[in-house]
Amino acid sequence: MTKNVEIRIDDLEQRSHDLGCRMLQMCIKAGKGHVSSSLSCLDMFVALYHGRILRVDTANPKWEDRDRLILSKGQASPALYTTLADFGFFPMDWLDTFTQENGKFAVHLQHDVPGVEITAGSLGQGYGTAAGVALAAKMNRKLFLVYAILGDGECYEGSIWETAMFASHNRLNNLVTIIDRNYLCVTDFTEDLVALEPLDEKWRAFGFNVIRINGHSIQELLKELPPLRNRNSTKPTVIIAETVKGHGIPSMCFDPLWHGRAPQGSDADKFTNEMQKRGCYE
Amino acid sequence: MNNVSQRDVIFSRLYEIARSDRNIVIVAADMSAPALDQFRIDMPQQFVNVGIAEQNAILIGSGLALEGKKVYVYAISPFITLRCLENIRVACLIQGIPLTVLGMGTGLSYCTDGPTHHLLEDVAVMRAFPDMRVVNLSDNQMAAAYVDISAHNEGGVLYIRIDKDFCPDVHTPGTDFSRGFVRLRQGNDLMIAATGPMVHTALHVAVVLATEGISVSVMDVFELPFDPDAFIADISEVRKIITIEEHFLPGGMGSAVCETLCDKERYVPIKRVGLSMAQGYKPSYQYGGREITRRHYGIDQETIYRTVRDYLKN
Repeated sequence: MTKNVEIRIDDLEQRSHDLGCRMLQMCIKAGKGHVSSSLSCLDMFVALYHGRILRVDTANPKWEDRDRLILSKGQASPALYTTLADFGFFPMDWLDTFTQENGKFAVHLQHDVPGVEITAGSLGQGYGTAAGVALAAKMNRKLFLVYAILGDGECYEGSIWETAMFASHNRLNNLVTIIDRNYLCVTDFTEDLVALEPLDEKWRAFGFNVIRINGHSIQELLKELPPLRNRNSTKPTVIIAETVKGHGIPSMCFDPLWHGRAPQGSDADKFTNEMQKRGCYE
Repeated sequence: MNNVSQRDVIFSRLYEIARSDRNIVIVAADMSAPALDQFRIDMPQQFVNVGIAEQNAILIGSGLALEGKKVYVYAISPFITLRCLENIRVACLIQGIPLTVLGMGTGLSYCTDGPTHHLLEDVAVMRAFPDMRVVNLSDNQMAAAYVDISAHNEGGVLYIRIDKDFCPDVHTPGTDFSRGFVRLRQGNDLMIAATGPMVHTALHVAVVLATEGISVSVMDVFELPFDPDAFIADISEVRKIITIEEHFLPGGMGSAVCETLCDKERYVPIKRVGLSMAQGYKPSYQYGGREITRRHYGIDQETIYRTVRDYLKN
């Protein structure tokens, strides 16, 4: 439930940094996990949860009026799991069981973890489910919002655009789409692979309000996301959040080869040092 | 002969249930039916049309179901199954999200539409998934009964194959469909296990053979997986089995029967009749009517009569 506490941006920035370190440690220990894809969207999760944008109840994860956060890019599960644990949905020590025998979760997102809504990992699917949930909310006259987190590479999937067309036609202004625009896929940069830009014009043409922000700026996230609850337009909104894959670890950034991997050995030490020193890619 | 199609039976029954259950929602991919048109007019809040976007129909359906809706996704059968396999798997099955898939026009229903609209592989593919029930309707009694069954679906996907042709009822009102098969006719010499529209062919062949003094039993195997123990118990007196389906042979109903016999160590002679892989899709380009296309595949009534008779002699 929303508590009346003061939210300080520098606190959230520090929290995001601490959670990034914790998440990296979790993935290094497991030798698994999409570290770079998680670091590009961790700030969003911290803003959404710790910034009290989401209306959720850690004591009652299935509270029927909760906002639904649907992570369609399921490979970013380390970022979400770390945030959910820190926010109080489950004990932090669950993170130590990542990918382990009798563990609570593994590389891709799974629906039975407290605070998680769906199983995801096959791209382009969670978004349609999110739109279905948003439609059900309208049918049931529920006021909660559905936040769908998409990868930019996920926008290559045709089903994303089937859903986008459906969402705007059905005026799903209770659906908030956030695209983690980190410009990198598995093998290449998106603009060299098959260009996604002009991405905002594509979404606008599909009937969305489009907002482009710095996805690592807690300040911008806290400024742009809360007003969406007022639903001043019948259109659904997409936030294109400009991010960096591997944010916080300069040696990991801008290198497609780090997709889907957890650093090991000397890389692990190096990356941990960079992360702890608040590495910045600029 | 019924003057109502299986799909209109389904939508009429759904209409009745939906009147008192607002959680019933139909998600259509630009498909209609006379009884569905009435549903749409009277209950627009319980009808969603996604356009010609079958994958999205499954995904939107999964989200609705996640919020407690009882969802029926309706589209042309090859497109809502083969095209959407992974959507059904990920968005529903692996998460235990219940959904009913209404696949219109299975087998050679759309015989003159050509092979894009035929559906001859789906049973093999769909029954490979855990928590999936594949139902091959053979008449209107069964169609209505499965609407009631689906309304109580708590988990998993119920895939209902709807035939386009009008056909007479072979089941009586109140039939118990819970075992996945029903014996429609008794006989001593051989049992034909048929599914979907081929049940009618099997019954016809059995009548003809009876005039020749050959006693043939007919079983409608309509749901996969069926209850294997009940099946083995039911065929305790059967000496020979022939399975008939309008589907390619690998993985179809006949395969399911063979698997059951094998796993239960019941070694009764059995022969499968269906579409041959060697012929592949070539006969699908033969037009003129369903029986003509079937004849090219060797599963028309006349050919099946001879196949059954010859099998008994051997």
